[in-house]
Parts: sequence; structure tokens; C-alpha cells
Amino acid sequence: MLEIKNIHKSFGGNEILKGVDLAIDKGDVVVILGPSGSGKTTLLRCINFLENADQGHATFGDIQVDFQHVKKKDVHAIRQRVAFVFQNYNLFTNKTALENVTEGLIIGRKIPKAQAVEIGKKALDKVGLSEKYDAYPSQLSGGQQQRVGIARAVALNPDIILFDEPTSALDPELVGEVLQVMKNIAAEGTTMLVVTHEMGFAKDVANRVIFMDGGVVVEEGSPHDIFVSPKEERTKKFLKRVIPEDYTFYI
Amino acid sequence: MNYQFLLETFFVALSGVPIALLVTVVALLIALPLGFLLALTRINKIPVIHHLAKIYVSFVRGTPIIIQIFIIYSSIPLLLKIIFEKYHIAFDIYKINPIWYAFIVFAFSSTAILIEVFRSALSTIEKGQLEAAHSVGLTTFQAYTRIIIPQALVVALPNICTATVNLIKATSLGYAMSLPEITLKAKVAANVGYNYVEAYLDIFIVYLILCSTVEYLFKRYEKYLSKYKVANA
Amino acid sequence: MDKYFDATYIWNAIPVLLPFLKITFLVAGSSIILGTLFGLLLAAAKLSSVKWLQKLANLYTTIMRCTPSIVLLFLVYYGVPALAENFGLNLHSIDTAIFVVVTFTLQFAAIMSEVIRSAYLAIPKGQFEAAVSVGLTPFQAYRRIMFPQALVVALPNFGNGMIALLQEGALAYTIGLIDIVGKANLIIASNINAHALEVYIALAIIYWVLSIIIEKIFTILEKIFGKGKKTLETT
Repeated sequence: MLEIKNIHKSFGGNEILKGVDLAIDKGDVVVILGPSGSGKTTLLRCINFLENADQGHATFGDIQVDFQHVKKKDVHAIRQRVAFVFQNYNLFTNKTALENVTEGLIIGRKIPKAQAVEIGKKALDKVGLSEKYDAYPSQLSGGQQQRVGIARAVALNPDIILFDEPTSALDPELVGEVLQVMKNIAAEGTTMLVVTHEMGFAKDVANRVIFMDGGVVVEEGSPHDIFVSPKEERTKKFLKRVIPEDYTFYI
Repeated sequence: MNYQFLLETFFVALSGVPIALLVTVVALLIALPLGFLLALTRINKIPVIHHLAKIYVSFVRGTPIIIQIFIIYSSIPLLLKIIFEKYHIAFDIYKINPIWYAFIVFAFSSTAILIEVFRSALSTIEKGQLEAAHSVGLTTFQAYTRIIIPQALVVALPNICTATVNLIKATSLGYAMSLPEITLKAKVAANVGYNYVEAYLDIFIVYLILCSTVEYLFKRYEKYLSKYKVANA
Repeated sequence: MDKYFDATYIWNAIPVLLPFLKITFLVAGSSIILGTLFGLLLAAAKLSSVKWLQKLANLYTTIMRCTPSIVLLFLVYYGVPALAENFGLNLHSIDTAIFVVVTFTLQFAAIMSEVIRSAYLAIPKGQFEAAVSVGLTPFQAYRRIMFPQALVVALPNFGNGMIALLQEGALAYTIGLIDIVGKANLIIASNINAHALEVYIALAIIYWVLSIIIEKIFTILEKIFGKGKKTLETT
């Protein structure tokens, strides 16, 4: 469904992505792991054209894009099918929770308001915020804000949702509620590409794990492949650093 | 103190209010959109234009408005004269209503002030707001009109209020262009019997009423607009 | 073209005008010093716990904010001597510069009271409490801890206030002060109103350069005084 070939991206002479390939099928839940600065977030942002990649190709259903010659029309078409959940939520501060969810539907997709409100309410119900339709972001906790962020993505009924470290700006006690919501929507068959440091989520929910380091994909496979029997030295080193010694995986 | 004169001249001064307000409103109608667009060129560092905008802002902020008035009021007739003579147009430039000069002068200075107001307001809006708008499928234009501008406006409003009050006050310099506004009208009335103290007291009171009303209205509007922020406080 | 506009008049006017900057500086400088002192009092009133003092100081600031400089200037110029006459004083023969200084002192004080108030409020209360807790007297705490920090916050606004004052001061010619604007008008009158534009452009250049210099000085001052703030933050 989504295929990325040989994507490159530099910031001021610093090459962050050095030719990454990626293929995602419908229903996949893919988690990207890797140390900070490995290019995971940049990869995600390039897929949604929040950054302009320097070279490479993308195939998205029937749309083909050469990153060197991107057409505005294609950007818009792909963004209509891809939703994004931001690390720092990026809720529209001047809109209520419900308006945050319906904005893209009414303005971006031209869906009639009544219908959009219905979809929006359903999405907020799904993330457990039925009581907070009319709350402004400033009235919500970080965890609630991120759940609105997820509802905003889900409501668009996209082909894929990209999650950029959705829990790393949260206080530890609020991480659980957001991960639970993500698990729920994964269980519904939503296609997801998730950058995260939550190893538990990767282990339990992902059907494929990608380990990135230094702007390239080092290793990929099932959670079992990566966590229990990693092949590459860099993967082993990383896992040793982030997972405590006595932590055992039951897969 | 001549109380009879004080009372009569109050209404003379008051009769200058429509002109002062007209100049203010027209100047703002030009300066608000133009200032916003030029602020965008500064934020996005559009080549050449943003440098010109910077010099323009520096000039307006660095020179007294009375001197801007002197310069514009004496240069435009010169320019027009040259143009009209060249193309043999018979038009008496000294018959131009001074209000046109007032529009130009005050739009010229307000635009520069508002560029800075909008620039600082826009820089307080996080880049993530634009990215989030893009990510849910809004075009850049939609993102600005629906998300960025409403937020920037709330931030900018107190400064737009200050700029408006300063603009109203600055129209008192219209005398230099023979504009029959509040100050000039009352002053002319005072010339007859040298009742300057009374006349300036009247002018003072009229501006006080005018500016505090404008400030009050802005405060009300600000409260209404920032309802999403009040919830936080 | 040169019949109407001759740039040499600009360059000829500047050296004639520059000596009169002395008057401009004298008037502006006096207003700044007196206005800052009065502004300090107003700020103290606004921050005091006495309700009517607060209200009075706020009312004063609102009135000043709503009064055009030229109106205040004439009100002082005509009003103060008229008021003094009631008490048997004759102020009609005193120097115009005095009226200008009084006007801009009144106006600058209102601006400064807001600058000082917001700078004071920007400093966390804990700073004062900590200073007193280590044995400083309240006065020492203000002088050694609060004041230096508030100064850094106030500096940019103080600079803007100064530039604004300088520009509003350009109106002093209207009551007959011969500063650079007054002199410029004299030059124009002696030319029988010809080449006024060039003289005004010369004036604009002088003011523009002056404002840029003041701005630069304040940027440097901010850097010097801001240093302590940064090391404080990082340690």
C-alpha cells in the first residue's frame, strides 16, 4: 500500500536519511525503534511532506511521487489519506476538542457539518473523551490532549496513521491511557506506522519492528526476531541499553 | 475662565470627531491587510521585499510623525506638478482635499507599526499549528485563515489597540495639512478671543472620551475573542 | 527637476541643524530624568496596597495615554500660567523650554510607570524572599537583588520609551522652542518657503540616525546587563 524507496534527506550538510526503504501493507502495525538522531522522526515527517525529502520515490496506492519533483496536487492527495499524530499534540489552541477533530473533515474534505460532528463525536467517544467535546486544549491534561490528537487522526478515516513519539512528551502516569487507545485502534485493523520508545507497545502490538540507526534501516523483522534474536551488533547494543537486564520477553 | 466659550467650543471640537475617525478607519483598512502581508514577507524572509520592509519599518519608527507629514505633504504636490506638467493635464493640485494627504500619511505610518505588531504576534504561534493543519488536509491558505490568523489576532489585539489609539492621537497633527479635525477646529474657534486654555481643555476632553471608548471596545472584543485562553487562567 | 528639488539643500541644511540638537537633547534629557523619577513614584503607587493610590495612578496613566502630545503641550503652555495667575504668580515670561520639559515629564512618567511596574512584576517573589532569608534588609534586597534583575527586563521598553519621547519632542517647535525642528522651520522661512522638502528630509535623516544609535546602545546595554542573568540561569 505504501512503499518508500531510497529516501534521502539532509539538514545543512548533515545527512539524516541515507537511503531508507520501507514497505507497509494494509493492516500492518509497524514500529520504528532507534536511538535519538537516527532519522526516525524525519522519515515520518518526509512521508507526510512536513519535510521535503531530497531524493527518493514513494508509491502510495495509485499515486507515484518522485521526491525531487513533488507536485502540489500529489501532496494534497497523499495528506488526505495519511494522518499524523504529533509528539507535542499540536492541537489547534483556538478550537474545542470537537472542532479540532471536525476541522479537517469540514474544511479539508468538505464533509457537511452535521455529518462531520457525528464522526467527530464518535472518534472522541472511541478515545474515551465523551465528556470533553467542548473543552479547549488548555483545559485538558497532556494525556487527554494526545487522545484528542489521535481522535483527530482517526476521524479522517485515513489509509494509515503516522505516530511521531506520541507518548514522549507525557508525564509517566499519563502514558498508559494513550498507549491503551493506540492498542484499541490497532485491534480494529488500522494501519499504523509508529515511532516510539515504548518497547512494551512494540512487543505487544506491532507485527513488524524496524530498527534504524545513523539514517539507515539496520534490521527489521517480527517483534520476536528483533527482541529475542537480533542479528546485528548495533541492534543488540541498543536493546541492551534501553531494556533492563532482568527484563524477559514472553513471546 | 470663560465657561460659556468652554461649553460652546466643546461641541465645535466634537464636530471634528467624524473626520478624525474617518481618517483613522481608512488608514487602518489599508494598514491592517498590508501590514499583515508585509509581516508574512518578513517572517518567511521573502528576498528583497523583507529587506525593504525592514528599512521602511525602521524609517517610520525612527522619525517623528510630524516630519513624515511635512515630507509627504510637500513632496506629493511636487511630484504631481511634475507629472501633470509633463502630460499637460490641467488640474489645480492646491485644490486637493487635505483628507487625501491624511489618508496617505497615516496609512503609511500605521502600516509600518502593524508590520511589527503582526510579526511579533505571528512569531508566537508554534510551527506545529501549521503542520497539524496540513496533516489534517487543510491547504496553507485554509490553515492561515482558520487556525493561524485567529490565534495571531488574539495575541496582536492589545498592540493593535495601542496602535489605533496612537493613530487617533496622531490625527491631531492634521493641522499641518489644514485638515479640519478636532484640534484645528477648536483652535480656530479660540483664535477669535484668545480663549486657548478653554479650547485645549475641550480638545483634551474630547480625545479622552474618544480614546478611552476605543480602549474599552478593544478590551471587550479581546475578552470575546480569547475565550479559549480565559479558560486556562 | 532641479527647479523643484535640489538634493544639495539637504546636505547644506544638516550642518546648520546639528548644533540645535543640543537644545533637543537638553529638553529630552531633562524630561527623561524627571519623568523617570515621577514614573517611579507612580509605579510605587500602582504596586502599593492602598486602593485609592492605585486608582489615582492608573487614572493618571490612562489620561496621559489618551492625550495627544500636542494637546498636552498647549494645555501646559497656556494652562499653567493661567492657573498660576490665580495664585498671583506671573509665569508668562519664563523660558518655553520649561513648558516643554514639564509636558514631556508628565507624559514620560506615565510610560515609565508602566515599564517599571511590569519589570517589577516580572521578577519572581521568591527572589526577594530568598534575599531577606539570607539576612539582607528589605532595602538591601531591593537594591542588590530585585533592582538589577528588573533593570534587564525594563531596558528594551525604556529604550523604546526614549525613542518615542525624542520623536514626540519634535512638536516642541509649535510653542516656539528653537530646537532642530524649530531651526528647520526658520531656515525654510528664510528661503521664503522654497525647498522646504529638502530641509525636512535633512531633519528626517538626523532623527532616523539618532533613533538607530539609541537602539544600538540599548542592544549593547542589554547584552552587558543581561550577562548576569544568563549565568544565573545556567548555574
